Amino acid sequence: MRSWFTARLPLAELEAAIRHKTVPQHRHSIWYYLGGMTLFFFLVQVVTGILLLLYYRPSSAEAYDSVQFIMTRVPFGWLVRSIHSWSANLMVGAAFAHLFSVLFLKAYRRPREVVWISGVMLLFLSLGFGFTGYLLPWNEVAFFATRVGTDIAGAVPYAGDTIVRLLRGGPDVTGATLTRFYGVHVAVLPAITTALLGLHLLLVQYHGMSVPPSVEERAKRENRPVPTMPFVPHFALRDLFGWTVALALLAGLSAFLPWELGHKADPFASAPAGIAPEWYFLWTFQALKYMPAHVLGIDGELIAIGAMSLGAMALVLLPFIDRNTARSRTIVTWAAIAAIAFMTTMTVLALTGGH
Amino acid sequence: MTGAWRIGSVAIACGLLAGSITLRAAGAPGPQAPAPAVKPAAEAFSDDVHAKAGLTCESCHGPKKADGGYAAIARVAIAPLCARCHADAAYMRKFAPQVRVDQYAQYQTSVHGQQMAKGETRVATCNDCHQSHGIVPVRDTRSPVAPAHVAITCARCHADPARMAPFNRSPEIFNEWSKSVHADALLKRGDRSAPTCSTCHGSHGATPPGADSVANVCAQCHVREAELFKKSRKAEVFAALGQADCLVCHSNHHIAPPQASWIGLDDKALCATCHDESVAGAAVIKSVRKGFDEVLAAIASAGQVLDRAETAGMLVEDGKLALHTASEAHVRMRVLVHTFTAPPFDDVVKEGLAAAGEAQAVGDAAMDELQYRRRGLAVATLVILGFLATLYIKIRRLPKVA
Repeated sequence: MRSWFTARLPLAELEAAIRHKTVPQHRHSIWYYLGGMTLFFFLVQVVTGILLLLYYRPSSAEAYDSVQFIMTRVPFGWLVRSIHSWSANLMVGAAFAHLFSVLFLKAYRRPREVVWISGVMLLFLSLGFGFTGYLLPWNEVAFFATRVGTDIAGAVPYAGDTIVRLLRGGPDVTGATLTRFYGVHVAVLPAITTALLGLHLLLVQYHGMSVPPSVEERAKRENRPVPTMPFVPHFALRDLFGWTVALALLAGLSAFLPWELGHKADPFASAPAGIAPEWYFLWTFQALKYMPAHVLGIDGELIAIGAMSLGAMALVLLPFIDRNTARSRTIVTWAAIAAIAFMTTMTVLALTGGH
Repeated sequence: MTGAWRIGSVAIACGLLAGSITLRAAGAPGPQAPAPAVKPAAEAFSDDVHAKAGLTCESCHGPKKADGGYAAIARVAIAPLCARCHADAAYMRKFAPQVRVDQYAQYQTSVHGQQMAKGETRVATCNDCHQSHGIVPVRDTRSPVAPAHVAITCARCHADPARMAPFNRSPEIFNEWSKSVHADALLKRGDRSAPTCSTCHGSHGATPPGADSVANVCAQCHVREAELFKKSRKAEVFAALGQADCLVCHSNHHIAPPQASWIGLDDKALCATCHDESVAGAAVIKSVRKGFDEVLAAIASAGQVLDRAETAGMLVEDGKLALHTASEAHVRMRVLVHTFTAPPFDDVVKEGLAAAGEAQAVGDAAMDELQYRRRGLAVATLVILGFLATLYIKIRRLPKVA
């Protein structure tokens, strides 16, 4: 049997490549496992998402009831739905942690620019997954949060109204929005993500793990190579450990904080108190609150959206902005620390209802 | 009555009307209705139902005077003038076959009409409620006598202390009604069938109902309650005491949502106004209160657990149906309390408790299922943690990399 496959597939070469593959081993190696954990959560999303697709009905009349049916009548449906919801949040959290760890380790440097750009795009896609998926259960909080979230796009000059209509499939959040979000969530985003993820993983394997500049410089000073460990079994077992930690976290959260369904959305009811987006959008939500109505005659919300768009653009183009000098690396590190501090402060303020 | 006096009385009436409109706009308490805009007569008349029917200024005012203007109509002459057409069935049929033609006859029986007949021109006549030149049908929501606006139209005079003082009437009636369950239903929930002033007092024949007819007035809507009350011993007792039936417990204008706490012999209970522990009915009073307390507590408890379970994503339709049955039983209890006896009431209490118990059981079962799931996942988490520990030991035992 083995010979049959070996004759038709490059199994021997693959086996040799895996046997000879090594991974740098240093005091920052632990951050290498975050990418694997993000991938694990994504795979969980794919599997649980496919299972949910079997019963979910994407219409305003049936969406809530179908999720309730999944949670009450489908065997282990409650578990699948709870894991899907928690895994979505953990995936975004792991993706953010992965992004910042790569940024602090300066792993975006030449020749890994495309790995970085594809990674940032994957983070944006996971936020898109979160935004579109949030509405799908068609519950009260999701409905009004989506209304607020899509409203923000209206601040864009000239095209704002068109963008809002494009997002919602009409002037307001309705069943048309739900169908649209569903299509994007289960078809458009997965297709783009699969392609980008394939490219990202291929390039990671091709270039290998990046060694942080400090480790490289130290090895150079001491005139010795950077220590490595075999991919199999040393790194693979550690990666498996990371995946299992992620699984334990998922099971623990689903056990002690089961994801609730809330009340069915009523488009004609007034918005209940405490409407807020998912935690990873909270900082933007809070930052927009602090913007004055107008700054030098320009709409405050527009300035905030412009600033965030510029920030996102800078993040994508970071490998080209950082000239890889000690000074520019320090600036990037402090800018990232400031960004994390700003996002954390805004999120905490939003959670505590502070002003 | 001289011409000058007629003009003067109309001017005073218009002044008082304008003054009362200003008072409402200045923020008098209670719900607000759009104050009728004071438009010039010709402009207002262009949108008047009479203008649309082909009537003109001359139809009411007669021919123009020498100076080109029209003579004002004396207040005492307004109702008879309107009645010329509105009491003529043959004439009115041409415009609206089903329109009533008894308004003037009713008005003559009303306190307003009787006072007007005596020459008291400060009381209301047709145009005070319907306007003079911008009259629209009652079913038109702009009408000052449309259901949502009736109370405010009445309040223009009846909430004005200066206007009410000469007649020895309280100006607080509108404020009291504004806080009532009826005002809530009409103005907040938009229930057009909820009672406003004219529902109980009549519109054209507006007269306060006497003590002996209060139950009949309330019975227009609260049919079953009135039926039970009239058959009860209380009806005889109240009649003998000359007390106004329903009003004894519910009051007249500030009718609050009924509370279980009204029943009982403690200081806050209404029953304690007349009864104490020594009376024969004390046991019934206590039993009725106990029934209310038990059913309400059971409904609240079941409602809470069902809400928690539903928010957690559990299907509790059977429980919600049972809770609905319990709530219906509670409504029936509130009706049956008007028998002032224990037997039919106690049976409904049992039904309510049984239904609420069923709802509670469904909710509890759903919460138990949630707990069961949680325990299962906790076990799975422990297994995963065990695997993690094994993996950790295996990694530690791997040969060291040079």
